[in-house]
Amino acid sequence: MLDSKIKAIRIAEIFIFTCALLLVVIGTMLGDSFFIRLATEALIFGGLALAVDLLLGIVGLLSLGQALYFGFGAYMAAVLLKDYQFGFWSVMLAVLLFSALLGWLTSFIALRSKGVYFALITFGLAQVAAKSVYNTRALGASDGMVGVPIVQIATPFGSLNTGDPATFFVIVFITIAILYFVLKYFLHTPTGRIWNGIRSNESRLPYIGYQTAGPKRAAFVLAAIVAALSGALYPMLRGFVSPELMFFSVSGNAVITVILGGVGTLIGALLGSGILTIFKSIIGTLTVHYHIVIGLIFVIVVIFAPKGIIGYFADRIQKRTSHG
Amino acid sequence: MVSKNISPILSGKNLTKKFGGLVAVNNVSIEVERLGVTSVIGPNGAGKSTLFNLLSGSFSPDSGNVFLNEENISNLSPASRLSRGMARSFQITNLFFDLSVDDNLMLACQRLESSKMLVKLNRFSEQAIARSDELIRDFQLESKRQELAGALSHGEQRRLEIAVTMAMKPELLMLDEPTQGMSHSDTIETSNLISELGQKVTILLIEHDVELVMNLSKKVVVMALGSKIAEGEPESVRRDPLVQTAYFGESLA
Repeated sequence: MLDSKIKAIRIAEIFIFTCALLLVVIGTMLGDSFFIRLATEALIFGGLALAVDLLLGIVGLLSLGQALYFGFGAYMAAVLLKDYQFGFWSVMLAVLLFSALLGWLTSFIALRSKGVYFALITFGLAQVAAKSVYNTRALGASDGMVGVPIVQIATPFGSLNTGDPATFFVIVFITIAILYFVLKYFLHTPTGRIWNGIRSNESRLPYIGYQTAGPKRAAFVLAAIVAALSGALYPMLRGFVSPELMFFSVSGNAVITVILGGVGTLIGALLGSGILTIFKSIIGTLTVHYHIVIGLIFVIVVIFAPKGIIGYFADRIQKRTSHG
Repeated sequence: MVSKNISPILSGKNLTKKFGGLVAVNNVSIEVERLGVTSVIGPNGAGKSTLFNLLSGSFSPDSGNVFLNEENISNLSPASRLSRGMARSFQITNLFFDLSVDDNLMLACQRLESSKMLVKLNRFSEQAIARSDELIRDFQLESKRQELAGALSHGEQRRLEIAVTMAMKPELLMLDEPTQGMSHSDTIETSNLISELGQKVTILLIEHDVELVMNLSKKVVVMALGSKIAEGEPESVRRDPLVQTAYFGESLA
């Protein structure tokens, strides 16, 4: 079972990498920008879903308000880029530090509770934040902030222009890949094992010598950082931010993404985000009621492949190997 | 130093625990001497599991104190008790069922390398891996390392449970009905395992399999209706008339 899951994850990693490579090469050749920008958006929301999967799939905490940190990252990046002329690296560093602080502070509210109450508190926190931003004139209130300038990224290989869709796609791809591999690395550390232990059987941990509060807080802060860094990329892609980025639809979508891709697999978050974005785009051109179709797809997946796409393929690999 | 070795490793003094109007444990004192197996027996509802939970820190007593190596540990958490050498298992198998056997053991063993760091990043901690390998061998789980704990047979799960409990090399091992629900052959195997372990560590055992207890233990404490009614060597306890009426019934009379 474990082997087949590892194999399915490896296949998905290669699949996503191949798709990204093909997209860049073919997209550049054809001079496409629409699909490349769509894929960039899928990756950015995939980063948010990664944060949700860390909490839900690894530690066993259902966050219904992860958009709070995503939106925080997006707004902070927009303000720093537009009003303070920060560069890419300093924006990312600032978002990293302040989202860690925000995650740490809010963890004292959110981690007081477990299970459904944790879900409700994270939901509530995000609603409070979204309504506050919605009513703050300095942040553009309900209109959000437009006119975020195109960023030049200084690298040892010269300056990169985020205005070029393919270049920015590669930058986002690398950023999300780093977040993904950092999380994946964590899973095999002692702390990662404790996270799995918390999900599996939290009340047993004190009897093998652990206090669970510290590791939970660490995961919560890390999930805030991952969501915020993903969010920081959003205004660089779209040139604007709006309070909708903090709304429940964004948090809820991230949860759906994770369940669709496969809870607790991490790569499922990225795969799910890609698939959902493609579906939304295709169905969105046919009908404005695409949410109904997405909802139906979600119901079908939950009924017929409750372990998500990765889980489904892991089971298939398992069957094939056990039949010889 | 000498006095420390003569003194009991664990003692409960005048422990009382009430649940609403029910007095589950009523002013019970118990002493567990070093090495070998000390057992608590009693009919269902005698309060032996409650006593066990008071000693291990799962419940806090309404009155009375618990001493480990003469240190009052009444108010310490299970995690702090573990770092002082006390470990316990659970009556209902209590493992990380959706993790592999390896991960279950590594989770328990990695605590050996205590560090104050909040986030521990060393992926390959030799001490933990060595301890985990040792336990896998001792508890005959070699062929099951990659299996999920939830997929093991009941007997294997009970073995893994004891292995996880032994990870931190405790001085005092508290086993809550380790043979519960086991087949006859598994019970014999576990009983051998316990008697072997009893040569290295002190074991406090709760059981209702009387024959198992009588064969393994150097000292037996008998409880009934929340009180201690007898204690001593297995044979003297077996002959105690109070014990015979309360627990063994007519069959041994």
